[in-house]
Amino acid sequence: MSVDFTLDLRGESCPYPVIYTLETLRDMKKGQTLQVISDCPSAFRNVPEEVVKHGYSMAQEPIKNGQEFSLFIQV
Amino acid sequence: MKKLYASWFGSYWSPYLVMALAGILSAVYFGITNTVWAVTGEFTRLGGHILEFFGVDVSDWAYFDLVHMNGTTWTRTDGWIVWGMFIGALITILLSSNFKIRMPRQKRRYVQGFVGGIIAGFGARLALGCNLAAFFTGVPQFSLHSWIFIVATAVGTFLGAKLVNTRWWKGKPVLKMGGTAPTVRTGKSRQPLLGALLGLAYIALIAYFYATGRTMLGTAALFGAAFGILIERGQICFTSAFRDLWISGRATMTKAIAVGMAVSSVATLIIILVYGLDPITKIAAPSTFIGGLLFGLGIVMAGGCETGMMYRLMEGQIVFLPVFIGNIIGATALAFAWDHMGVYNLLVKSGAPVNLITEMGPAAALLVTLLVLGAGFAVAAYWQKNYRFGVGFKKGDTTHVG
Repeated sequence: MSVDFTLDLRGESCPYPVIYTLETLRDMKKGQTLQVISDCPSAFRNVPEEVVKHGYSMAQEPIKNGQEFSLFIQV
Repeated sequence: MKKLYASWFGSYWSPYLVMALAGILSAVYFGITNTVWAVTGEFTRLGGHILEFFGVDVSDWAYFDLVHMNGTTWTRTDGWIVWGMFIGALITILLSSNFKIRMPRQKRRYVQGFVGGIIAGFGARLALGCNLAAFFTGVPQFSLHSWIFIVATAVGTFLGAKLVNTRWWKGKPVLKMGGTAPTVRTGKSRQPLLGALLGLAYIALIAYFYATGRTMLGTAALFGAAFGILIERGQICFTSAFRDLWISGRATMTKAIAVGMAVSSVATLIIILVYGLDPITKIAAPSTFIGGLLFGLGIVMAGGCETGMMYRLMEGQIVFLPVFIGNIIGATALAFAWDHMGVYNLLVKSGAPVNLITEMGPAAALLVTLLVLGAGFAVAAYWQKNYRFGVGFKKGDTTHVG
């Protein structure tokens, strides 16, 4: 899978993961994919819920890597 | 066994289930101790002890009389609720290998958290309770002040959401072209072992309390840990229950908390009637509204309320250390301002404790409470369905470049 942009949000806690992700997605082109790396535990639930509600789709299952995780979102 | 472990600690629990359980537990805790699940009162006392340590005589501060300063934090049930929550949360965080020192990349977060913590602590104590005693455990006590506090918190978080969305406050994230391969980690985490050891040590402490006749301390330590475990496993965030409505329309937490309060209201009323207890009623006054407003603003600035802050700090989110310190400073500042700066005379004296049970009888009190909670749930569900990030309730999709 090709990823167009990566948003590195390690260290950022609520509500910034949701705000940054939705802002970035808004500026991307249709068909592009965004990778979001985060270590904020609540973002693991908040961000996927919010991007799906806002009309984007999860390109693949999140990858968990220790205390960090990557989400892949398609515009 | 492995499967059970994975289902308990591999992912988070349903916030609805967690809040319903917390609602029942807090009702039972009230039945046993005749006190409610609360934390900021103890934060104020901690502030008082710190002042005493530095030689300040606080014996004539009226607020410390109000919250009772006797003993130390280790000999009070309210103290063990706080420490139990910290320890309970830490145990489950370790069991799920989720502890990590998380430092914010943007240094401004420390200042924001500290200032937010002070405002939230000050506001919470002005209203005589935070998201627990003036909210989650206040509504099931049928105390009118909780409802004023909730409305005010909603207004405060709205202002807070506007503030954190400004460019100078939120800062800029790190955005790179292309993908980033995750760094591969090898080896097993030692965290579950540490968590199990800490859990056993804590169980031994509770057993010791009971064995030496300090049953109330044992009960508080036990319930504190249970509350800590629940809010961590459900990632319960009272801040997000309001703030996310204003930002992106997320209402999961709002709905879960409403469900929890409804369950708790029924359970608490049963306990009040069966055991003939008096509900805990706090003063409803202008201070309740102003306190709630400040609290709402403060928790959004800080990124977490007084309880959310606790388990996030245990997760290793360093930014919540200045929030915790700020909470104690804010609560202590209010204790000072209470009589020394005329806050009581100006904002509190005119109020009175009003309880719905006394005003309208138990059946009507429960019915009204459940109806208002139900209406809140319905509004939240509608909000979630229709409110969108950046555009609010306007129709049409977000516009994309190209």
